Order: sequence, then C-alpha cells, then structure tokens
Amino acid sequence: MLEYVRQFISQHIELTEEEFQTLASKLHLVSFDKKTKLVDIGDVATTFYFVLKGVSRRYFYRGKQEVITHLIKEGGMMGSVISFITGEPSRYIVETIEPVTAYSLSKKDLDQLYSTDKKWEKFGRKIITAFFLQLESQILDNIRYSTKERFINFMKHNPELVRRVPQKYLASYLEIQPETFSRLKHLIVKEK
Amino acid sequence: MNTAFTDIDPVLFDYAQKYLGRFMPITREELVELLQYCEIRKFDKRTIIVRVGEVDNYLNLVVKGLIRKYLPVRKDEVILQLATEGHVVQSEISFLTRSPSMVVVETLEPTILLSLTHDKMEEALDKFPKGERLGRMIVSGMYIKKDENRYNRLSKSTRQRFFDYIDHHQHMLQRVPQKYLASYLQIKPETFSRLKALLSKRQK
Repeated sequence: MLEYVRQFISQHIELTEEEFQTLASKLHLVSFDKKTKLVDIGDVATTFYFVLKGVSRRYFYRGKQEVITHLIKEGGMMGSVISFITGEPSRYIVETIEPVTAYSLSKKDLDQLYSTDKKWEKFGRKIITAFFLQLESQILDNIRYSTKERFINFMKHNPELVRRVPQKYLASYLEIQPETFSRLKHLIVKEK
Repeated sequence: MNTAFTDIDPVLFDYAQKYLGRFMPITREELVELLQYCEIRKFDKRTIIVRVGEVDNYLNLVVKGLIRKYLPVRKDEVILQLATEGHVVQSEISFLTRSPSMVVVETLEPTILLSLTHDKMEEALDKFPKGERLGRMIVSGMYIKKDENRYNRLSKSTRQRFFDYIDHHQHMLQRVPQKYLASYLQIKPETFSRLKALLSKRQK
C-alpha cells in the first residue's frame, strides 16, 4: 500500500528511495468508519491524510445548510489544510462518507522533516501548490461555466464520485441547487 | 526600464522587507541576497501586464499601486482580485503550470512591482538558503487568502460581505471604480449602490 502513496507523491515531487523511506517511517495506517468526523469546526487540525480507500468530504455550515467544498477519493490528500498550516481553529468539518483507509502524517513529524532538509520544504511547497491549483481551478470553473456545463463536465470526469456520493452532496459541491441538479440528471439519462 | 538592484532605493528596500516579512522574518543581508534574483518593474496606469493566452512569467509583489485581475466571461468580466501594496499578484495557474493564462492582469494606478521570473524563482529556490522555506510560506499565504475569499463568498450574506469588506478596505472606495468593487464582491451594481447609500447613513 505504501507503493500507492509513492506513486501519487511522485506526481508532485521526486523523492529518492532513502527520502521516501524517511517519509514512510512517519506515516501511520489508519481506518475510519463511514460518517466519521476527522476534524470538527473549532478543532486545530494536526493530521494530514493520504487516502488509500474511500470517499470523504470537507464542508462548513451556512446557517443550517452544509456547503461542501471538497470531495476526496483514493489517491487524494485530505485534511483541514489551513488549520493544519496555521495552527488556528478549523472552519471546516472533514468527514468520511464511506469507510476510509489512509496514511496519516502528523504536523509534528512534518515540522521535524522541514527542519532536517530543505527537500522537505520543497515537498511541503509542492503539496500546498497542488491544493492551491485545485482551489483556483474550482473557482474559475464556477465562473466560466454555466450550471449545465459544470454538471456535464463533472459527470464526465468523475463517474466514480457520481456513483458513490449522495446526490445532495454533489449538488452542494458544484454549487447547483438540488432541484436543478435533479432536472439536469434527467437530461443526461435521456441523452443516453 | 527594469532596474538592477545594485543601487536600490532605500524606500523600496524597506517596503520589500516589510512585505516579505509577512511571510517569514527576513534579515537585511538575506534580503540583499534575495533581491539579486528580482527585478523592479514600473507600469503606467491602465496597462495590461498579462493577456489571455499568454504564459505569465512573473511572480509579483505590489510595492506601490493597484492591480486588478479578472476573468473575461462571454461579454462580461469577473474581477477575481484587487491587489494593493503588499499583495502577491499574478496569473497563478499560468505561472505555476506554464500554461496559457485564462485571466487578465491590469494596472489601475501607476504601479511598481517587485518581480521574479519563473527561471529566477527556480534558481532562488535552489540557491538562496531559505528559498524553499520562503517559497512554501508564500504559496501557503496565497492559498489561505484564496480559501478565505471563497469561504466569505459562500458563507456570508451580500450585505455582510459588503460591510466586512468596506470596514477593512475603506480606502478602496476612493481608489477603485464602484463597478469593479461590485464585480469583485460578486454583488449586483444596483445592490452595491443601495448598500453604499446605507453606509453613509451609518457613518452619520
């Protein structure tokens, strides 16, 4: 399973065998039931996860309404990243949707890595850059594309999430009203 | 003309130290070394510095002036950022992935930028002792800011968004045309005018 982590880290940065072993020695294999809150609003996030199996979501509340900003499946990285970086209380809830298996990395261990070699600073920079790019793309896409285009793009590129994630979560993530989402879904079925 | 840092203006130097210091404490000696990689760029007001389709080659810190970054959408444009002194501005996805820009970066006031090309950034990350750390801090800062903006947009009412912004950026009402502020805050221009009228009542 570590091979899997090596594979997806290599998309962001090349590590030597020795460096990877150093990182691996800091990773802990963890499992969670479905609907487990890993981080709650107000918690300080001290753990970051590389997901091996299972889907999770990150969200906050607008009044009583959940607003989903992230859906993470295997091969993804998850956490309340900003709380993890700043040490401030989280604005987000990170919660599993399915049972999840992941490797966890603690902030303490990551800080220790940062202090040993600037290669790890680079590692941190690349990971945060990946989060940054994903957020910026999401923001631009929400402006550039109409609701219908957003819906179709997502369906096309994330068939697995469509199958595994409740519809109301998908609608929230795409910033589409649930009723509109249902209507669009009918369109798709008809086109087939 | 871009200036070399052999005889840098002490005022600019102090600005650079102050603004970079927000990401990470930086000594005078370190800054002198770091500035070897940078250049100062000066632009008139209303100059487009990145066009759609161009690869943005610069990471910029605004030393003086005001810049808007916007996304052209159909016949409209949506303002994504209004960058003033101390802010980092660029076409981020283009710069980071070396791809054609989707956004336009344009000065609104005469502007001075402390700029780093992509090549020089790679060199500084490699050779400047704290380069990787500073790089990580800058991208973290950019991410935090962007996430906060989205959080505010999704979690607050239009009215609350307007008042929170104006409370923290009073000077922007003088510096930026109203329609740009409205676009940036994603508030309809008519609603913006109505809220602005409430503002003057509130101040009385």
